[in-house]
Amino acid sequence: MDFCEITTETLDVGAIARRVVPANCGAIVTLDGFVRQITKGRETLYLEYEGYEPMALKEMEKLVAQVKTEFEIENVGIVHRLGKLEIGETSVVISVAAPHRRHAFAACEWLIKELKRTVPIWKKEVYADGEVWVEGENAKN
Amino acid sequence: MKVQVLFFGATAEETGEREIEVSLAENIQANEAFAEIVGKYPRLKSHKLLFAINQEYASGDEIVKDGDELAIFTAVSGG
Repeated sequence: MDFCEITTETLDVGAIARRVVPANCGAIVTLDGFVRQITKGRETLYLEYEGYEPMALKEMEKLVAQVKTEFEIENVGIVHRLGKLEIGETSVVISVAAPHRRHAFAACEWLIKELKRTVPIWKKEVYADGEVWVEGENAKN
Repeated sequence: MKVQVLFFGATAEETGEREIEVSLAENIQANEAFAEIVGKYPRLKSHKLLFAINQEYASGDEIVKDGDELAIFTAVSGG
């Protein structure tokens, strides 16, 4: 089955990945996106994610529908966490199950690129000496 | 007519608001409506803004209707 979810709970990457597996697949590619400590030489203390939840879920579901028409894959799961996240905590998981791995890799890469462009979620970087809402460089026009 | 306008992240910080109600002229186009609202908050103008109506990205030429949910936010940065 496919799924798109938003939560403030800790993400269990392995458990999310297992939910996308059908019998005819031989590979799952899972992206575990987590909070980076150093960005462009500056140290982040923690991140805060905020989302326009109903629209974010709609946009995620559109990505799932589109990726399934463009790549030979079976199932997709996307889960994004919101709220305060510490360094190293998982913020987003994208799992793609496919009969063959190369389609799963390509679809997973496409999904994270599109998610960062279209899904209305924002991160605030909190530093020792300030904070800033990150504004996406490749976002939709 | 009245619409709800939502702000998130940077736009919530710049406006000091998360949700407001705004009165607009009937049959106003989306791009005019958003220009009017952004005009009330000069600090928004330093950002690249995205607009949505009823949880869909706005195309700009659609007509805003009474009770619509508008949203104004900066370029997304999830992931």
